[in-house]
Amino acid sequence: MLDKKWETCVKCGLCRSVCPVFREEKKEQYVARGHITLIEEFLKGNIDFSTKKAHEYLGKCLLCTTCVEACPNKAETDLAMILARIKHTQEYNVPFYKRILSLVMKNRKVMNLAAKTGSLLQNILFVQHLDTSREGMSPRIGSKLIERKRLLLPIADKTFLEQYPSHIEGKNGRIAVFPGCGVNYAYREIGDAFIRICKKLNIEILIPKEQVCCGGPLYFSGLIDTPVELAKKNIDLFNALNIDFVIVIDPTCASTMKFEYERLFSYIENEEYLEKAKKFSKLIISSEKYLHDYTPLKKMLKKTKIKEKTITYHDPCHLGRAQKVKQEPRALLNAIEGVNFVEMKDADTCCGNAGSFSVDFREISVKIALRKAESIIETNADTVVTGCCGCIMQIAEALHIKGRDDIKVKHTLEIIDEVLK
Amino acid sequence: MKNKILKELIKIVDKKNVSADKIDLLHYAYDATQNMYLPDFVVFPENTEQISHILKLCTEYRVPIVPRGAGTGFSGGSLPISGGICLSLGKMNKILEIDAENLVAHVEAGVINYDLREEAEKFGLFYPPDPSSYKYCTIGGNVAENAGGPRAVKYGVTKNYILGMELVFPAGEIVISGSKNMKDVAGYNLKDLMIGSEGTLAIITKLFLKLIPLPPYRSVLQATFSDMKEAAQTVTNIIADKVTPSALEFIDGPCIRAIEDYLHIGLPKEAQAMLIIECDGIKESVEAELSLIEKVCAKNNAQHVKRAKDKKEEEVLWKARRSISPSLNRIRDGKLNEDVVVPRASLPQMIASIQEISKKYNLPIVNFGHAGDGNIHTNIMFKKGSEEEEKAKGAMIKIFEMVIEMGGSISGEHGIGITKQDFLEKQLGKETIDIFKRIKKALDPYNILNPHKMKLC
Repeated sequence: MLDKKWETCVKCGLCRSVCPVFREEKKEQYVARGHITLIEEFLKGNIDFSTKKAHEYLGKCLLCTTCVEACPNKAETDLAMILARIKHTQEYNVPFYKRILSLVMKNRKVMNLAAKTGSLLQNILFVQHLDTSREGMSPRIGSKLIERKRLLLPIADKTFLEQYPSHIEGKNGRIAVFPGCGVNYAYREIGDAFIRICKKLNIEILIPKEQVCCGGPLYFSGLIDTPVELAKKNIDLFNALNIDFVIVIDPTCASTMKFEYERLFSYIENEEYLEKAKKFSKLIISSEKYLHDYTPLKKMLKKTKIKEKTITYHDPCHLGRAQKVKQEPRALLNAIEGVNFVEMKDADTCCGNAGSFSVDFREISVKIALRKAESIIETNADTVVTGCCGCIMQIAEALHIKGRDDIKVKHTLEIIDEVLK
Repeated sequence: MKNKILKELIKIVDKKNVSADKIDLLHYAYDATQNMYLPDFVVFPENTEQISHILKLCTEYRVPIVPRGAGTGFSGGSLPISGGICLSLGKMNKILEIDAENLVAHVEAGVINYDLREEAEKFGLFYPPDPSSYKYCTIGGNVAENAGGPRAVKYGVTKNYILGMELVFPAGEIVISGSKNMKDVAGYNLKDLMIGSEGTLAIITKLFLKLIPLPPYRSVLQATFSDMKEAAQTVTNIIADKVTPSALEFIDGPCIRAIEDYLHIGLPKEAQAMLIIECDGIKESVEAELSLIEKVCAKNNAQHVKRAKDKKEEEVLWKARRSISPSLNRIRDGKLNEDVVVPRASLPQMIASIQEISKKYNLPIVNFGHAGDGNIHTNIMFKKGSEEEEKAKGAMIKIFEMVIEMGGSISGEHGIGITKQDFLEKQLGKETIDIFKRIKKALDPYNILNPHKMKLC
């Protein structure tokens, strides 16, 4: 059984000063203290949850965990929210598109097929943007789910997993790579950068082709059947390898596999896989932390130069807050000569993407993103660096709306790769 | 009936600003006391006129109405204990003007204390009252409870900054009491009666607040002690030495350990007490005052005295101080959170007596707070649902009796609400309470404004 680690909430109201959604909505229905109160009543069965409002109140949380970090009692609102969503999806209807996603994500082949089809059709169905902060595309015809002007991530012609052999020789350390769907299907160049960096460092790399989606997007929406299956596959696959670490490039996948798998198996009371998930958790590390702590990359970077660049850095929630990797990317970037690093205001505030949140609550998602864009613009940086596909897409769009396509959005790994070339 | 009232409310504030759904009401049923009382409606007015109409409606149908800021109070002021309307001022959160020539801020009641502070600073001005919840509590709530804060020792509490206010009375009358003027003796000082009235006499909608020039320099030091009494004595000595720090905060051993467990900032866990002392003003005078304070600390056997070396270190100290109250959950899950105050020189005696009561009742009683003005947050910790709960109430009564005997007060800044109402008469006497009741009856004849608080009816 999972501990109800949100029960430590003393209703002090401090979360009202940190929650990005509350900042826009200004109503107690959209803040941790309110969520916890509501969810407790829901779990007790005291409230009718079949209503549209209930669905909205449970959905309109980014799970960014800013409140958990700030909370003097570390009340885990995110856990309460996930459990409530699980119960809610079991008792009431799940949006149709999420059910479809659940089917697609379950199977790598179906996912590949969907991506391939998308890749082929993207020129027909979408408008390509090459001059935006980050290359992307937007639909030619808007729909209820995705409005026409949304700037989405592009679909790669060849996936990361197809691009590389399952084994790359090396002498320094032995790692397995889990790119995450964002890198595998869309921003493959981030994965390419990582592989090139590792080759420079002469690291032995395994890229197991049988790896499957981490299940995060479904799990965070309260759908757990598919994530349980996916989790088991990934755990069994990577636990069997003789490796130092599993490098997970996308932080949302990393944080799902590192922290949420344990919660998941505790929830369904599967002791066997709970133990396996704990072992798996220890293997998982972000690419930034791995390169910073376990390789001589920083030393190498000190000898590199870049053409004078003003860089600011955005902390992805699942990298900074969840995995506590905040200093490592900064230290790596700062090691490069020519980098003029400027901290932005509220660098660790969520960008507002949060996966399906940006689809379900587009208006708020954009408002939050625009604040992020303003913080970036204030720094006068020519490049904003971050470490997550979702953040990259969201920030590029926010900068596009602000008319600042000139500020480029890059992944930490891309900057490093560029200077090592 | 309920439907009729709902329809009327929709007419006044529009559908988007009112709800009678349980799922919404639930979110407006609690405050920081953690008690829960469901209102029948929650309404978000956008202007004073709407509030006037709502009050007329309440008078007509005899519906209780309870104003609510951020719901961060510790005495239950915003709890709708008799149901009725929860009037959230959340949407009236505009800073209307910072008048830098007159040093006055004109704000709506729902403005967040911190937002006003930030805005004033842009003009080189300062709004001193800073309750620990200043980043999320509202000015309206601060006025209704007459909130204090660490800087009260030098700058006073909320009441010292109220020049004027806009009020709405039960029959819907909109009244302005006071003005932007620094002096104003025209008629009864209605506004002063409203400060600390906890929403029982009128709804406060707008405020004229006094601002002062932002002190150019500020410095903070922390001093730790192995004996709580020596820390208390240090406080008394500093005040007696005619030095007035801008903050003089006391934190006892258990509190130090609770915040260290939360923030991990390297506080000495073995210390029995800590003082956070801040001085502000002209740099030279601040430095001189702090040197003097350091000497007083040394004389009272302080273990470590350390000045914050930059803004960042200052912020860490203040964050630690402000986090105490919510982090106490780490000691026990239940607490009776009191904010007793005694004449400043009696502080060491009070601290010693509380320790005795703690021993006698065999309960952890932790103390922290604004020692410089004699106001200590005494938290009686207990395990919810155990026999400790009853014992804690006994200890609380003992503390109140002791404080009253010392010429102190049962509340320095949290207000009476429901949590301390049983003890108000004990402190003030029956005659005073009777006069309160007559005032209440005169201004709120149908008892619709935050009824059944402060034992007024």
